[in-house]
Amino acid sequence: MTLLSRVPRRLIQLACFVGAVVLVWPWLPWTAAPRFFQQVSPFVALSSSIAKRSIGVGAVLALVVIVVSSFKKRWFCLYLCPTGFLLENTSRIGLRKTRWWGKLPPVGRYVAILTLAGAVAGYPVLLWMDPLCIFSSPFALNKATSAMSVFLVCLGLGVLVGATFVFGMAWCVRICPLSGLQDMLFAMRKALWSRSTASAPSRKFADAKLVKISGASAPEVRSIASMRKPSGIARRAFFAGAGGALLALWARRSGAARYRKSDTLLRPPGAVPEDRFAGLCIRCNNCVHACPTKIIRPDTGHEAGLAGFGAPVISYARDYKYCLETCNDCTQVCPTGALTPLALEEKNKYIIGEALADNNVCLTALGQKECDACEVACPYDAVKITWDEAQYIAYPVVNDKCIGCGACEVVCPTNPVKAIRVWTLKPA
Amino acid sequence: MRRSVAAGGLFAAGSLMPVSPALGNQAGGQSTPEIPERETRPPASVVGEKVVQPRREVPVLHKTSVLVVGGGPAGTAAAFTAKRMGVDVTLVERYGYLGGLATGGLVLGIFPLYDRSNKQVIYGIGEELMKKLDVVKYGIIDRNKPPVYPTIDAEAFKYVLASMVLDSGITAYLDCWGVDAIVDGKGAVRGAVFESKSGRQAILADIVIDCSGDGDIYAAAGAAYEKVKTNIGLISRIGNIDEVDMAPGRGSEDPNKPSIGRPGEGEGRPSKGRVNDFGGHAGNSTPAPHVNWLNMRGPVGDALDIADLTELELKHRIGTWGNVEKLRQKAGNEQVYLTETAPQLGVRLSRLLDGVKKLKVDEIRNGAKFSDVIGYSGAYANAPAFQIPYGSLVPAKVENVLAAGRCISAEFEVADITRLIPVCWVTGQAAGVAAALCIQDKCKPRHVNVAKVQDLLHQQGAYLG
Repeated sequence: MTLLSRVPRRLIQLACFVGAVVLVWPWLPWTAAPRFFQQVSPFVALSSSIAKRSIGVGAVLALVVIVVSSFKKRWFCLYLCPTGFLLENTSRIGLRKTRWWGKLPPVGRYVAILTLAGAVAGYPVLLWMDPLCIFSSPFALNKATSAMSVFLVCLGLGVLVGATFVFGMAWCVRICPLSGLQDMLFAMRKALWSRSTASAPSRKFADAKLVKISGASAPEVRSIASMRKPSGIARRAFFAGAGGALLALWARRSGAARYRKSDTLLRPPGAVPEDRFAGLCIRCNNCVHACPTKIIRPDTGHEAGLAGFGAPVISYARDYKYCLETCNDCTQVCPTGALTPLALEEKNKYIIGEALADNNVCLTALGQKECDACEVACPYDAVKITWDEAQYIAYPVVNDKCIGCGACEVVCPTNPVKAIRVWTLKPA
Repeated sequence: MRRSVAAGGLFAAGSLMPVSPALGNQAGGQSTPEIPERETRPPASVVGEKVVQPRREVPVLHKTSVLVVGGGPAGTAAAFTAKRMGVDVTLVERYGYLGGLATGGLVLGIFPLYDRSNKQVIYGIGEELMKKLDVVKYGIIDRNKPPVYPTIDAEAFKYVLASMVLDSGITAYLDCWGVDAIVDGKGAVRGAVFESKSGRQAILADIVIDCSGDGDIYAAAGAAYEKVKTNIGLISRIGNIDEVDMAPGRGSEDPNKPSIGRPGEGEGRPSKGRVNDFGGHAGNSTPAPHVNWLNMRGPVGDALDIADLTELELKHRIGTWGNVEKLRQKAGNEQVYLTETAPQLGVRLSRLLDGVKKLKVDEIRNGAKFSDVIGYSGAYANAPAFQIPYGSLVPAKVENVLAAGRCISAEFEVADITRLIPVCWVTGQAAGVAAALCIQDKCKPRHVNVAKVQDLLHQQGAYLG
């Protein structure tokens, strides 16, 4: 702490900001670097560890942050957070200088509680509000293949910067769940610290005083005293927690959250089951950024509905681009484990979807062209143009080696509809 | 009894036809080789359980500098090229027309012509032939519309090739099946033996270009080769059909229709093994109006096994008839009829030469560059446009023979591309240039000055990168 206090705070912030950019931008030969950036956030590390019922390596980093911020209030926000640095400077040139947000309720705490409760139910509902995820998301810009993708990856940080410019620091102080979590950690530490050490005799003394004044019995007074002041917060926290759990269950079970179940919804390799994916995914767009063939893009909600807004989907629409058999980068960068880290051999066995050929479009089946593009392109030996003696035609038959990498779909020469396409795997 | 060749013999039917030098000599009453009539020749006889053919002299029909066996895309390209370089060329074709699979096989699609960026990479004799088809009515469609490939008309192409052969001064023998190589004491090829209505005859040559497709001549000469089996189909043409339905939601290669990546109205997830009803359209349009050509992949068969070939010839025609009946059940297609099935089976690959250079699939995928490049193949599926080296036309051991067309030296996956019509033009033209240069420079094909070959190909308009 003494070291930190000597160096100007702005300098440390700037250093952390630059460090964050270096980690997220793939300058480093270390593929998994962006993952460790977001895992520094205790909000992400805690929620995803609870939701996945497993503790990741990055949780150690978060533990350090937890310990430090419970002793020094909002230490993370003041020194480390690159989003905080960005917004702080935005507010300096912003329109609103007053501290009007002081009147706002501590929304961030409720968001944190709601999300943690959701995580217990397997669906950390508002995890995507983590500031580190919002910060790293626009770094996927260079892999955005459409105007919609550009919009989606810039949405979070754009809204924050814009809102801070217009309304001031309301986000950082009141709404950010990471700062809310830190506040709670600090308060908890204080409560624990005072109870376990010096405060014990004085509290006893105070209670005794109260007993003397009111004439009531000691245990009764203690319960009244402890309940009185934080009762409003505790009630709201309880509702937030209950709401989070209910929201989580609704999102997992209800078709309403996924109003359109597309037949072509494809998640990147390593994705956890669909009922948990949209919750566990924090929209950091690390996977979008990591993909060398630009096939991963944030969903507009068209494929997976409201719950899946902004979560990554695979689209093979771009020519000659598919999920390479030489790459597992996207599985290495996910900070929450929405995409399970997979070794290359494992990734090449992960089933993204299933390729199915439409014989009424296929050039070979219709006798239009001498075409075996899909068979030649398949890296897994999964597509065979097969002669059907009964129908006296040949068409692509896909065997169970298919993982849905899309190599066949991208080379299929038919337009506008591909004769062979990857579809969501239907449970047998 | 002596054989007398008079008017009415091969290629001597009227003033339109230039008379070949050999036959001209005969017609001119000069020394005619003593050829015994077939009946007087000793026939094969049964010796024990074996059939034995007696040793006999094969009459020499003709002597030439360059002998091209096979009159398909590669053979005609080789013959035209060598002849234009001023050497004496003889072309022998098994069927009664020229063009091989491009005409008799009804392989009407001229692909792959373009690289990934839609630049045409095959010119030379192929481009010249397509230009001749350009000016023939209903000769060729979809020219210069990459990535859509041109489609030719078989009869128009037969007409163009026949005219060109007659104009060129090439000595041609049709209905004449090359059955054996003539090899000297040192193992070098000196010509080939043919079977025709005139019996078994020999043509002596300094260089033989094997464009037989099956590599019959180099195999007979003892060159090493790899035998492969792949699908054998039979292409047909159907008439009275509307132009292929290219409406949105249907497959086409029209580049002006950007891929929407999802099905059109009423179309969804296809079920596995869905029965094909042709969706009301089968095959692809040809230059002839309301005529489609219908490709067939066919089952895997041995193109060197007469039992396989016979079975497929029969079954394919039955299967094609059945598919046309199916097609007729679609509303609007009631009047569709089968115009023809191809005279020739669609044999894709049979023998692949073990050449000086075997073209490998890794090389073409990685865009390998060869110092002895003689041309390009267009991009096909996941292979970009790739170079073809001269070494893939030259047998590893046997002398005086070059391969061109589908039977050149390449790995199966590569040969599956080099077998296609425009690539056969490329290898044919290169073999023609090399053979003519061998005659002029008095050298063996493996020792030919490749830089000179490349220079000549370049002068002839071929694309070498």
